[in-house]
Amino acid sequence: MTAELTIPALLSMYALMLVPLAIFFYLQLGIIRETLISIVRMTVQLVLVGLYLKYIFQLNNPLVSLLWVVVMLVVANISILNKAGLKAGLFFWRSMIGIAGSTLFVSGWFILVAIRPEPFYDARYMVPIVGMILGNCLRSNVLSLERFYSGIRENEQAFMTHLMLGATLREATRPFLRTAVKAAVNPSVATMATMGIVSLPGMMTGQILGGEMPMNAIKYQIGIMICIFVAMVTAALVNILLSLSIAFDDHQRLKQDIFQ
Amino acid sequence: MLEFNDITLQVHQQLLLEQVSLQMATGDKVVICGPSGSGKSSLLKATVGALPLSGGKVRVEGKELSAQTVAEIRAGIAFIGQEPELCAERVHEALLLPFKFKTHRHNTPNKYQILEYLERLQLPEAILNKPCNRISGGEKQRIVIIRALLLGKSIFLADEVTSALDPESRATVMTELFRPEITLLSVSHDPEWICACSRLVEFSNHQLVEAGK
Repeated sequence: MTAELTIPALLSMYALMLVPLAIFFYLQLGIIRETLISIVRMTVQLVLVGLYLKYIFQLNNPLVSLLWVVVMLVVANISILNKAGLKAGLFFWRSMIGIAGSTLFVSGWFILVAIRPEPFYDARYMVPIVGMILGNCLRSNVLSLERFYSGIRENEQAFMTHLMLGATLREATRPFLRTAVKAAVNPSVATMATMGIVSLPGMMTGQILGGEMPMNAIKYQIGIMICIFVAMVTAALVNILLSLSIAFDDHQRLKQDIFQ
Repeated sequence: MLEFNDITLQVHQQLLLEQVSLQMATGDKVVICGPSGSGKSSLLKATVGALPLSGGKVRVEGKELSAQTVAEIRAGIAFIGQEPELCAERVHEALLLPFKFKTHRHNTPNKYQILEYLERLQLPEAILNKPCNRISGGEKQRIVIIRALLLGKSIFLADEVTSALDPESRATVMTELFRPEITLLSVSHDPEWICACSRLVEFSNHQLVEAGK
């Protein structure tokens, strides 16, 4: 059983935040207010999610769990498009296919093929696993979409030169696609290469703190890392490829009204 | 061969050309002159669908520029822009870039063809392995010209292509691009280039004025 984190103990954790806040103040970074809002938001959101998850786990109803997964997917999708600087209204459905398809595919694989809980829709597995994969996909998709479109925008002449030299849209965008997918996966490749030495991943640490045997926690961690990586790569690629027909006009010129 | 009918061109809400028409027959060598920002380069770009037309029609070899024909038209024209864009790390990759695309894959030149053009444009063989960011502006310009020549097209759009060339290279480039079978629409301020063209047109007050020769 995990040692209980009491409310005063938790408050002492908040006190630690005074260190970065003092640094921000010293450096005149102007992000103190933003940081405080983020901490409050994190706290409120996590408390609400804690209450909600307690309810979902007790209920263990597949439809309720699925509904929660859909909510997570929608929020993640909108967040990806906004942070990538693209108009969410234009790309929503195509981006949804990429993010939902890849996340649900690998989550399904992990739950149904690897863990096989009883019942298979057990909310204690479904919700956190989808959440972990989605959270990582969110970061990588923001990077890949942002890099892809800003790359073309900043190097429009090079992009147009490819077209002038007879490239199709797919061929002309390939160099930018390569850069974008690399940018999306590079941090994960580096993280995986140092995992266990430089970092002890959160899920594994959480399981060990929760009383799980380290070897079992490690097996879960390896499984989830592979799932995250597969979902990140496929979502990054599918999202970009599906966005092409919206982002370029019928002469393969990048539309300017797709950006926020 | 190349037809511009009532072309109206706006860039960033600024009117550049208004109902401009120009017809070119096979083998014509037309040079466009005019002040900076008058729409000379923009007309070349619009010919290959790189800029949208606000009005009018472009026809290339009888085909009207449209969503259906734009790829075919681009594949049939050699466009040499004002700023040489090599789009590769090394020079040999830049020269072979268009031949990686499906449209030109079957025409991939052999090493001897490349070396022949390098020699004609006074470039050493060793340049092939140089990084593109380590060669001079004049060398870059000659490389994009060679790349265009390797494509073996009969229509050339050339925007100030001799601006960074020494007299000897310029003479060679002109010999290549002024062959009778080539249809050339160009922008230039180079007196020798203008002299060698069969027609001179000027852009003034958003209109095209045929200045003759």
